[in-house]
Amino acid sequence: MLFFFLPLFLVFLMVGLPVFFALLAAPGILLWLADQPRDFALLYKNVYNGMNSFPLMAIPFFMLAGELMNRGGITLRIVEFSQSLMGHLRGGLAHVNILSSMLFAGLSGSAVADTSALGSMLIPAMEKNGYTRRFAAAITAASSVIGPIIPPSGIMIIYAYVMGESVAALFLAGIVPGVLVGVGLMLMTAYMAKSNDFPAAAPRANYRERGQSFLRAFFPLMTPVIILGGILAGVFTPTEAAAVAAVYAFIVSMFILRTMVWSDLPNVLIKASLTTSVVLLLVGAAMAFKTVVSLSHAPEILAGFILSLTENPYLLLFLINVLLFIVGMFLDAGPAIIILGPILAPIFTDLGVHSVHFAIIMSVNLTVGLATPPMGLVLFVASSVSGVKVETIAKTILPFLAVEILVIFLITYFPPISMAVPEFFGFIK
Amino acid sequence: MDAIIAIIKPLAWLNTVLLRIGRNIAWVAMGLMVLIIVLQVVFRYLLNDALSWSEEAARFLMLWMTGLIAPSAYRWGGFVSIDIVHDLLPKRLGSVLALVLLLVSLFVLVVAVQLGYNHVNSGWLFASQTLKLDLSSMGLGLVRVKQAWMYMSVFVGVILLLLVNIELCLKTLAGIIDPTREVPADQDHLVITAE
Repeated sequence: MLFFFLPLFLVFLMVGLPVFFALLAAPGILLWLADQPRDFALLYKNVYNGMNSFPLMAIPFFMLAGELMNRGGITLRIVEFSQSLMGHLRGGLAHVNILSSMLFAGLSGSAVADTSALGSMLIPAMEKNGYTRRFAAAITAASSVIGPIIPPSGIMIIYAYVMGESVAALFLAGIVPGVLVGVGLMLMTAYMAKSNDFPAAAPRANYRERGQSFLRAFFPLMTPVIILGGILAGVFTPTEAAAVAAVYAFIVSMFILRTMVWSDLPNVLIKASLTTSVVLLLVGAAMAFKTVVSLSHAPEILAGFILSLTENPYLLLFLINVLLFIVGMFLDAGPAIIILGPILAPIFTDLGVHSVHFAIIMSVNLTVGLATPPMGLVLFVASSVSGVKVETIAKTILPFLAVEILVIFLITYFPPISMAVPEFFGFIK
Repeated sequence: MDAIIAIIKPLAWLNTVLLRIGRNIAWVAMGLMVLIIVLQVVFRYLLNDALSWSEEAARFLMLWMTGLIAPSAYRWGGFVSIDIVHDLLPKRLGSVLALVLLLVSLFVLVVAVQLGYNHVNSGWLFASQTLKLDLSSMGLGLVRVKQAWMYMSVFVGVILLLLVNIELCLKTLAGIIDPTREVPADQDHLVITAE
């Protein structure tokens, strides 16, 4: 009986009930029908308990840090630095776009922030330089999915919290896959630049100019060093690192770059709180949902079904990637992880896939889903920034998506890509 | 129709006022959270004196921040949902679907208010481990903060969500009856997104 909460949840979701309510309504209705008042009351308590967590507090802090960086003119300095490195190449601005996304990823943990910050600056510049507007929008959207793969990452904080993994291990495991996505996109751009005769953006910068633009971007670029360095050295927990990053971003934009004034502060805090509150409520509801998932024996039933297809882990990983990709087309990465993580991860760890490896497969796959139609959050943002229709961007982005899918499979079948760095630092035994 | 509009207007006004207060407390709470956690690091390393209360205080603030600002996000359409079916339907039918979904949410929220009330009441039995208030000036000495004050955050949030939900239900209903009629909009949303 209780098993039906899963199909019911999917129906609610597909007809357009907000995810937060669907997560509570589906198990709630069935528990009520089954006349289980204690579990029913537990549903509410678990929403509260699910949100009442110190590790989760890293999310509001990283959101705030990103919001402060956006406001503080930091984006411009990062783009200028990227331009001095890659602007002279054929297809220069497209490369600059990708490199900026990679650098920006070290400051923010969200693909949406990346798209809106870089898109509003680079899309007009690329158009002026002779690119079509839809290509500019597509490359912005495609490269911004690097944001939550390279640490810090909101998605990985959620995964670590729901599944009880170490945030530090997941952060470290994301570095190489993130760089790989970036390099893959650059190779595709280089290929397209040759066949489409893309323009170079500027003459080659000399080392003096590169040094100067590096110095101008120095303080923002130090953020990931402080975050990761602090966590690795055991100076602070990920949550504390996030708080320090927020204060650092505040000091940089307020007193060093002087691009922010005191009166900006309330609005920045309100915006960060707004986005955070939605994520936290979702996490709370998903944690309540998760308790019902285990009550219903759904994981065992689903695992039985999946294992009845094949017991070959390689084939199963392929199938699961396809499933996750489809889910990612319709669901935002955060909710998808909270709902599917507890069901899928145990199946694969039992088959011998390392839990951190699976976490990265799942996170990267669902993150790429942010740039796929019809429910790609990043596509919508790229569309509103550029004025190009979502369908048009969705078509232009296809070659880049192909690259990202290839990277997903590389990560899936070559575990060292994600495992080597956390292993090196002793976060995985 | 006029009756619906007559209810929407004061309700929308009430929500605007309540949510504005909520947002203002929320951003201060967010700022304090950051300060407390940085203070925690500073005390541990520079003063070699780990604070006992900082973690719980920051969680207290985070829960209240969420409860007080999430209703604003809900009112401004910030709750994620899949809108394909809605967009495929003709306009009026789409509004009917939206109303049905709002009523499902209403049901969830009404139940949540009941459960939340019991939850808060149970919280008077438990005192916080680390949060204490010095009320010696009132002759009460050092008083441990009751858990109920923390539980109340989500309860208040659910009540505010319920108020917003009722407003949205009525607005959608008004839209179904007479799509041409204007319903009062929330100016705050425009101001905050514009900045």
